[in-house]
Amino acid sequence: MNNLKVDALVIGGGIAGMQAALDLGDQGFQVALVEREPSIGGKMITLSKVFPTLDCCSCITTPKMSAVAHHPNITLFTYCEVQSIQESGAGYGVAVLQKPRYVDVNKCTGCRQCEYECPITVPSTFDRGLGAYRAIRVPFSTAVPQKAVLDIDNCLLCGKCEKICPVEAVDFNQQPETFSIEATAILLATGFELTQLGAKKEYGGGKLPNVIDPLMMERFLAPTGPYGRVLRPGDGMEPTTIAYVQCAGSRDQTQGIEYCSRVCCMYAIKQAMLISGALPMAEITIYYMDIRTFGKGYEQFYQNAKAMGVEFVRGKVASIREDEKHNPIVKVELTEEGRIIERTHDMVILSLGMIPTASPSTFGLLPSSDGFISLPAINASPSATQRPGIFVTGAAGGPMDIVDSIVTAGAAASEASAYIRNKTGIGVAQREVAYA
Amino acid sequence: MTTQQTPQSRGDMLKRLREQHAATVERTQVLLREQKRVQQEICKVIRDTPKSVPEIAAAVNMPANEVLWYVASFKKYGLLVEKGMCADYPLYQKAEEKK
Amino acid sequence: MPEKLKIGVYTCYCGGNISHTVKCEQVAKVMESQPDVVISRTNMSLCSDAGQSQIEQDIKELGVNRVVIGACAPSLHEQTFRGTVMRAGLNPFLYHHIGLREQDSWVHTCDCDGATCKAMHLMAAGIAKARHLQPLEPIRLEAEKQALVIGGGVAGLRAALDIARQGLRVVLIEKSPFIGGRMAQLEAVFPTGEKARDLLCDLVKKVAGHPNIKLYTQAEVTGVTGYVGNYGVRILQHSRGVSAEDAQALMTACKKEVPDEFNYGLSQRKVIYQPFEGCYPQLPAVDWENYQGEPISLNGGQPIVLEDAPQTFDVSVGAIVVATGFDPYEPRQGEYSYGELKEVVTLPQLIRHLALMKSGEALTWNGHPVRDVALIHCVGSREIEGVDEPHEDGQVNNYCSRVCCTASLHMAVELHEKFPALNIYELYQDIRTYGRGHEDYYRGALDGGVRFVRYSGEERPQVTPAPTGDTHPVLLRVKDSLTYNEELEIPVDLVVLAVGMVPRQIDDLVNMLKVSRGTDRFLLEVHPKLRPVETAVNGVILAGTAQGPMNIQESLSAASAAAAKVLTLLGRGKVELPPFVAAVDAEKCNGTGACVEACQYDGAIALQTFTENGKEIKRAVVTPANCVGCGACVAACPNRAIDVQGWTLSQYEAMVDAIGMNIVDLVEA
Repeated sequence: MNNLKVDALVIGGGIAGMQAALDLGDQGFQVALVEREPSIGGKMITLSKVFPTLDCCSCITTPKMSAVAHHPNITLFTYCEVQSIQESGAGYGVAVLQKPRYVDVNKCTGCRQCEYECPITVPSTFDRGLGAYRAIRVPFSTAVPQKAVLDIDNCLLCGKCEKICPVEAVDFNQQPETFSIEATAILLATGFELTQLGAKKEYGGGKLPNVIDPLMMERFLAPTGPYGRVLRPGDGMEPTTIAYVQCAGSRDQTQGIEYCSRVCCMYAIKQAMLISGALPMAEITIYYMDIRTFGKGYEQFYQNAKAMGVEFVRGKVASIREDEKHNPIVKVELTEEGRIIERTHDMVILSLGMIPTASPSTFGLLPSSDGFISLPAINASPSATQRPGIFVTGAAGGPMDIVDSIVTAGAAASEASAYIRNKTGIGVAQREVAYA
Repeated sequence: MTTQQTPQSRGDMLKRLREQHAATVERTQVLLREQKRVQQEICKVIRDTPKSVPEIAAAVNMPANEVLWYVASFKKYGLLVEKGMCADYPLYQKAEEKK
Repeated sequence: MPEKLKIGVYTCYCGGNISHTVKCEQVAKVMESQPDVVISRTNMSLCSDAGQSQIEQDIKELGVNRVVIGACAPSLHEQTFRGTVMRAGLNPFLYHHIGLREQDSWVHTCDCDGATCKAMHLMAAGIAKARHLQPLEPIRLEAEKQALVIGGGVAGLRAALDIARQGLRVVLIEKSPFIGGRMAQLEAVFPTGEKARDLLCDLVKKVAGHPNIKLYTQAEVTGVTGYVGNYGVRILQHSRGVSAEDAQALMTACKKEVPDEFNYGLSQRKVIYQPFEGCYPQLPAVDWENYQGEPISLNGGQPIVLEDAPQTFDVSVGAIVVATGFDPYEPRQGEYSYGELKEVVTLPQLIRHLALMKSGEALTWNGHPVRDVALIHCVGSREIEGVDEPHEDGQVNNYCSRVCCTASLHMAVELHEKFPALNIYELYQDIRTYGRGHEDYYRGALDGGVRFVRYSGEERPQVTPAPTGDTHPVLLRVKDSLTYNEELEIPVDLVVLAVGMVPRQIDDLVNMLKVSRGTDRFLLEVHPKLRPVETAVNGVILAGTAQGPMNIQESLSAASAAAAKVLTLLGRGKVELPPFVAAVDAEKCNGTGACVEACQYDGAIALQTFTENGKEIKRAVVTPANCVGCGACVAACPNRAIDVQGWTLSQYEAMVDAIGMNIVDLVEA
């Protein structure tokens, strides 16, 4: 593979990375976008509807994914991992590993015949393990690129996919390959992961089947979810009493995560509203210490949820156990009444927090005490990192929601473009955007 | 993505890969047998009458959460369909065979 | 011979948003039989890459030459699908979009059959229109490579700098005589503890020294014409009133003083003034509003009267960035006894009070030592309709102001460090220290012994004068839910109101720019995720707290994002406007002039004289750049000689006919 020279390299194809790439590409810069998964879309594409507007998530995300894929100034690399970043010339030389898909993306039409033919079914990471897909599959229905990928670690190597493929796209010859990208500026959009479901042992996450994480609930609420409806994963029951435990992975010294993850209050409230829509008889309780609906339109969203009958209980959840029917029992100290009670629910969602996906050291950067990339000029250049020409956007720079991620993407793009122009002497006038 | 310098026949390639991934192949072969067995059992249970996940679980003697995962998988690939509700549980029945 | 019509019809499920109510498959089936339809499909999410590819494929392989899409509102994705159609080689205006979500499924959730029937009518109307669609070209115009930034606070400065350093020119205007905005009034800022003024100074230096930025202080917008790429903005600038030579002498000689708004009225300043040391521009200025012709005697000489000679000038800009910022909420007279008890102040006032104190000085208020202080959160924020008294416009501030929790706790920690003996109370509803490093202030306050009292928005704390002879001047009464709703009485020396943010008074500007406000009265973006810094007026961009409460970090990000948007818009030096403007049919026009009379827009349509066959005739001519496509001229024309392109009368007639069809006829068509 030839080495590529671009103005900017965006690492991470979630909402922040896609937006930053589009903002730079629209200005006429040549951009490479590297995504480690087989499709771009990040966490956002797995969500159901998004607050505070309750737009369906794919209505917002998929057009951006498509725009990235078709943009004349953006080169997209999926299923690739950044291995190292070296200073080189006016910018950086980045070594990228292309993982083998075992499918020739130039031939594959995304027809999914291979997927239907594949005999092995594995838990789908897209559905957080609660749904299934085959060892060879198109990652999800709106994936970009809409191309199959073979999961060699779960493959029987029976060759059935290769036989059925009408365009001979399955290619067992593929090897991991390294190539390099020369970029003047780098934008880190590596995003977040949820804190571990089982991190707080008292809450039973990972052990009790009906204690789940919020991204699982997103999948249940999404139209393409594993059950096509909201069911509890323990036994397929439609739940009627559902509880959210706030700050289950944040503001907790015992877990070493002392910061607020910013999004959990809003996603819990949003999910509560969506569940009320899907299951009108459901009783939903949110156990919380502080409700942090601080964004534009968020407080009104919270008040609407209260008016809809979502129950907000101020209390510290001490532990969760289950009864013989696997119904989770929440033990909670009601801080407003000073007593401890136990309440049984059909299902409990632990409102987990955010931790960074990639270690800042991968990019030669120091982490802050919270583990996210340190921002040395937070009140002057909030996208800047310690290394000149490397900028951060989205949740890689600390927990944030989609709205804030999109704004920081614009900000990082702005900072990066100024940096590139300064480094390379590109004036605004000289670069014309070639639109398709 | 380029192909290796010396293109090998499909059979050779698969053989080489199978050697390389011998442990995976062994594991997935066991998995495949297990998945086929479970599929047959579940399909038998829901062939004539729709059943809920706990009913299927009792009939095939498996934990309900594992059964639900199979149900989700079968639903996705068209092996079964949802057929009404019984109390709080949706019922599932084997899909008609494709002609 | 005209090409044969081949219409492709697409009904989107919108991930369930439409299909939960509208039976999309039925709709698609019925559309199949409409005239000239060659393909009718449904899709789970048509805007996805797979959905778009399907449309492209149909255009290429089936020869579809008219596309009708029933999906979300056109405001969301009409642009997306124009791109799709264009990529497949079709003119982007040979596509019509029907809003099946906002206009159907979302408003008829309880009536699936009715909604489905409506969808069929709407789609049939779309198809009927599509049969009359003609290719159109967008109006392409040169764009000014210059932007106007309104507001010289941190967001405006940042936006101006980011635009300028990428080669575009910027006109930056500030209403007051000095730049820096609200940030200049802060001292140490969270979460770093840096001095606000140092940070600001760095930014101001870059802005002031930038060759592409022209700064006008004491300046405001008085008129706006034009459109994206070519706005004409009239600016009025007041005189500085003093020169470098006489400024010091005039300032010394000037006797008239007014409360200093920089210190929120805690001190007095002269009407010729500099707000703080190191301000920019350094040259003092006359506060004309308060100066009022006061004679000044220089060195005992003849009294002179300074005069304002405002200048008006016009600038041409391609885009306008609105960075007008916020005002701290001013509590109404008597709210928490504000304005009645002198011991009740706002948090911004306390920040200035501490800044004015000498280092090492004990904390006093009104000459009395402060031993106990209470900070009340959510003043002017999170107000509840029916509980809190509405403001002048009848609204309550039902939003969270985002910064006050961290600012209050930051203050508590600072007070505790400076005055360890001080008893501090924080009266709050929810602690919202959400940002990176913000939670540290909460922990710091807890560790420092700050006492937290949690009140409910339905029962706000009561601030009253203490009974005579009490040890403290003020008595706070509050029900504390942290101690099981115990009724607390807290005697304090000082009550600090953590006031929220309200937008600046910019009614005139809002009217001139024709931008919208949200229910919170802040300026409204098009869509928080799709176009978060753009307004519905093309080329008018938002930066910072004009849009809603933000802290400094967030204002900076928003400003940089706004700059990126301006660069995208103007970087090419060209803009494209939609072609939906009036077009005159020369054959039919006989120059009645009724259209010119009906037109509300300057220079959009005019009668011109042509010579034809030796005869002079008059005919209407449209200037597309000035036409907004309102259609007033269409209605006025007695000869049906004018149409709005893309929305012609024949298209409307076809649509109305389809809407009016009996559903049975539609299904059997």
